[in-house]
Amino acid sequence: MASTKSTAPGPFSPEKIWKFSDILSDPEIRSRWETVRKYFFLRESTFDMTNRCNIRCDGCYYYEGDKQFVRENRNPDDWRKLMRAEKSRGITYVVLAGAEPSLVPDLCQVCFQEMPLGTIATNGLKFIPASINYRIHISVWGNDETSLSTRNAKDMLIRQVENYKGDPRAVFVYTFTRENIDQAREVAEILAARGCRLTFNMFSAPVGYGGPLRHTPASLLRTRKTMIDLLAAYPDHVLFSCYNAVAHTHPSGLHDLYSCSYPRKNPSTDIGLGRSFRQYRADLAWDRSAACCVPDTDCVECRHYAAGSAVVTARMFRHATDPETFKSWLDYVDTYLAVWVMGYAKGKNLCNDLVDPPGLQTSGSQEKEFF
Amino acid sequence: MPIGTNIEEIILHVAHVMIEELKLEGVTPETFDPDLDLVDEVGIDSMDLATVALVLRDEYGIRIDEDDYPKLINIRLISEYIDNRLKEKLQSAVG
Repeated sequence: MASTKSTAPGPFSPEKIWKFSDILSDPEIRSRWETVRKYFFLRESTFDMTNRCNIRCDGCYYYEGDKQFVRENRNPDDWRKLMRAEKSRGITYVVLAGAEPSLVPDLCQVCFQEMPLGTIATNGLKFIPASINYRIHISVWGNDETSLSTRNAKDMLIRQVENYKGDPRAVFVYTFTRENIDQAREVAEILAARGCRLTFNMFSAPVGYGGPLRHTPASLLRTRKTMIDLLAAYPDHVLFSCYNAVAHTHPSGLHDLYSCSYPRKNPSTDIGLGRSFRQYRADLAWDRSAACCVPDTDCVECRHYAAGSAVVTARMFRHATDPETFKSWLDYVDTYLAVWVMGYAKGKNLCNDLVDPPGLQTSGSQEKEFF
Repeated sequence: MPIGTNIEEIILHVAHVMIEELKLEGVTPETFDPDLDLVDEVGIDSMDLATVALVLRDEYGIRIDEDDYPKLINIRLISEYIDNRLKEKLQSAVG
């Protein structure tokens, strides 16, 4: 079991200021740093591919707000033009998401032809042709009993595994809600036994959501423990790290911890996501004021894995304070790349302590008291 | 390459760090236009800029605030920022 560790100097300890070059003098850190920095060229945009879905899940972000009502564009030529325009803006990576991309494989194919790096987020019930060589993220929200009650789909996990077992593109994404925490153990066992890889997501309530899936302080604590237990139990199948668990189950959401850099929460267009990121709706329009990876999520509640992958990764500067904090950040980035980039192999985690997010105003005793 | 303490030397050194760290080709510290927009014209992203900021923080022994470096989008701006920080550091050492 990982231990909780604050890297901030205590009141009686001499404050050591680490140089970045000193942190990198550790060969293990240097090697991982050189590996992950090769991927700094990734710049993403995300796309709603259609406004249709073959199931309807409680708490689905897509069917919140007005994006669900747009008239979808099904013209492959328009999609090709858009991909080329995005490429010319410097975009190198696409995420094809709402509502269910597997229903429009022809459009996904066009995207792949124009933009070879990307991920498709799917419920996994309809197989996406192997010629579309993107990462495939298959959403799992509990065991089949829970899927039937919250997603209105029978035998969901069996059908998902049937479609994607042995597929090198596939990563199963287990979303922890308040109600399915314990079921993660049986789902992980099933997936690992079939050689499937999985990672973890957190249910992040849409704006105005009042249902039973929203996390509480107690459910965050139980989720963190379950994540770490499963990471230890299935190290070859679970793509995650201790720092992922810390970042995504902290009492504060990602925005409070890391200051979200997506345009919806970031007015700056100087550099990074605030400058380049766009979230296109199914009609191929986009709105800067709404643009983030999971639109219509309540930003205070956002602990979404897609958000963290960009927001935590972007905060390299503040993690370069000491070796353990930087190792934790490297583990997070290594996980993010393994989950999102075809061909990237997850390395061994470098830090198995629970390191506090740096620069926390309410860190230390308050968080420890909570947990 | 000496890191320098006057603005012209700092500009040359920042250009040197930029070329070394980001493996830029076809340019030398002497030919690197310090007013070139690093984002639009060189294609540098936020992670690259963070890397350069960390190296420069080490070499000059100055504090660079996380909120500051994303605004430093050309070599002249970065060098002026370093120059100001060095002057502040000198003042606080004297004072």
